[in-house]
Amino acid sequence: MNELIPLMVIVPLIAALLISTISRFNTVTKVFTFVVALCLPLIPILSNYGLHYFGGYEPMLDTVSGVIYHPAITYSFTFLQQIFIGAVGLLTFLVVFIYLTKYKKVSGPYLFLLFLGTAAVTAMMLTDDIFHMFVFFEILALAQVGIVAASSIDYSYEMALKYMVLGSIGSPIMLLGIGFLLALTGSVNVTDIAVAVHNGLVDVTSPVFLLSLALIFFGWLYASGLPPFHTIKSGIYSKAEPHGAALLQSFTVISMISIVMIMFRIYASLPIFEVLIVFFSILAMILGVSLALTQTDFRRMIGFLAVGELGFIGLGIGLGTNFSITAGLFQALNEIIITALLFIGFGAIVNATNEVDTRKLGGLLAYHPKVAIMLLIAGLAMAGVPPLSGFQSKLMLVQASLSCGFPEISILAIMVSIATFVVFVKTYYTMFLKPKPNDLNLEGKEVPKAMIFAMAVLLIIVVLLGIFPDMATGGISNFVGGIL
Amino acid sequence: MKLYDQIFNVVKQFRKLFSPGPVTNADVSGSITAEIFLIVSLVLSAILLRHVSILLAGLVTLILAIVLISNIPLIPKFKIEQEDSLEKMLFYAVVTLALIATFMYWGGNLV
Amino acid sequence: MIMVQIVILMTSAALIVIGLYSAIFIDNIIKKIIGISFIEEGVNLFIVTLGYKAGGVVPILMPGMDPAWFAANAAAPLPFGLVLTSIVIGASTLAVMLALVMVLYRRYHTLSTKVMLADTSKREEYDE
Repeated sequence: MNELIPLMVIVPLIAALLISTISRFNTVTKVFTFVVALCLPLIPILSNYGLHYFGGYEPMLDTVSGVIYHPAITYSFTFLQQIFIGAVGLLTFLVVFIYLTKYKKVSGPYLFLLFLGTAAVTAMMLTDDIFHMFVFFEILALAQVGIVAASSIDYSYEMALKYMVLGSIGSPIMLLGIGFLLALTGSVNVTDIAVAVHNGLVDVTSPVFLLSLALIFFGWLYASGLPPFHTIKSGIYSKAEPHGAALLQSFTVISMISIVMIMFRIYASLPIFEVLIVFFSILAMILGVSLALTQTDFRRMIGFLAVGELGFIGLGIGLGTNFSITAGLFQALNEIIITALLFIGFGAIVNATNEVDTRKLGGLLAYHPKVAIMLLIAGLAMAGVPPLSGFQSKLMLVQASLSCGFPEISILAIMVSIATFVVFVKTYYTMFLKPKPNDLNLEGKEVPKAMIFAMAVLLIIVVLLGIFPDMATGGISNFVGGIL
Repeated sequence: MKLYDQIFNVVKQFRKLFSPGPVTNADVSGSITAEIFLIVSLVLSAILLRHVSILLAGLVTLILAIVLISNIPLIPKFKIEQEDSLEKMLFYAVVTLALIATFMYWGGNLV
Repeated sequence: MIMVQIVILMTSAALIVIGLYSAIFIDNIIKKIIGISFIEEGVNLFIVTLGYKAGGVVPILMPGMDPAWFAANAAAPLPFGLVLTSIVIGASTLAVMLALVMVLYRRYHTLSTKVMLADTSKREEYDE
């Protein structure tokens, strides 16, 4: 059923608008939100692979030059899109479920923002039109700012404004790069641009083409929170509600890979492109993990770890072989699940203690054993301990960089994994294992059942992907073979 | 004794990182790990320059190692540059944009 | 390239550079936001210029027009469509930014970026 492809974007968008209009009827809103959220992971599973042309404008064959042009905005839906949209749909469902059970009176605008963000990343993942992607990228930025500003954490408005000001530099610069591409090729369809570049209609060594790469690349740095945007990205994670932060990091990862795949299809023939990606990925890994080691606010620490892990994704894509890109995309999928699990788990602790400073916590293992065990497994998965999913993708990355002739990068990746583990063990020790401080009051505070449920669902996926990585890697590898 | 004193001073300086509030064992050991991790990983990534020129890689690695080790503690300096104020964030964003654009426009074909 | 186009392109480059300058050097947050929105206007101006055609007609096919003549003389329609969307997005972004500034002004009673948007992790107390 190819008709379901546009519905993946339309359903959350319409639902977002409807929820904000009917939010005065509390029960109706709750039921409606729950049903829509349940639909989100189901639509990509039921849909068939294929293309959707908006307005029904089929591709046209230019009989003189023999080139096919795409006049319509095209959505392409393959295994890669299915697995990532499915993952973000599932995450949205879990986050909305946590939100609905946490508050008696739901806020229409907040649910509006959650669904708007999901619709935006879904469209970014599906689209084959670079300007369409830019539009949804801006909508996503607005939704992210809204989610941060809506939280009740101190200084969330300040962080939201900072993100917005930085975004109003990053996004127009990216649009300028898109404008350069439009000037060179006369099209905004990625397939048309890629064909023009590969057929030699565009001079790939011209400074204008190189500058367009530089500008879009800068926009990508902002979208994915690689340096110099790592401080603001980890900042907005720490100032959002924990379940909101779980969703925000999945938005970041998906916008990162959707933009980088578009850039890869256009610029893969330039060697400098891969050098740039690898350089900024290594910088992100080093800065993210070393700053995570010095944090005392554990939400900020997970934020920096999430940024550091993004470096692994960039590394896989920057190495540029089929195996390494597969590894990078598989790492992206694992990161979405594992980081969401960590954010929800540590959010449960915030919920039960009202404290975010690791120095004032301790002895939580006796009070919240379920959360403690699930968090431990998630931390091991993030550090890359077998047989969990993080191990599989990181092993693939290390093998890929070895086979490309970069043993230094392999060593660096292993070192970053070890440092990630140190960060996690340090935080885990201070929160769960060391003796409880006297002034910490833990009596009578429970972790919500919905959070435990969400963590358990995500944990099952982590273990399944760790034992059967072929479920994801086979299809991703086919997709990567198609674009190389 | 000199090196020992130097490392002891490093640990003392970490105290400023965690103000306001107390400093715990775990925080200090985390900071020392970060310090070592930073030096080793930067030196290691400098070796990647051998794909450009082996002599350059050797020189840069040596100089970087000496500069980094003689400048410990690095983490407080690093953290001040990457704090949450909008001034610093905007400055680094614009500088990065300028560097990438300049490098690509004139040097994009060199690689 | 035509003289008009060169002048417009230089204007858009100047707008972008002014925007980047004000991002670093201006302290007042409202002025800074005005400056940063110059970047966006400069980019919009650049994309509109791409569709410029000397002596071209509006790209709407009216009844009675010869399609071949129309194809040869109409301005490119795509950049205009893109810029229209981009302006709408820019306006909404600007509105959200100014709304956040309003909220923060009530709390801090100043518009200085150094005070309002400094590093918050070192502050001990949080006053409403």
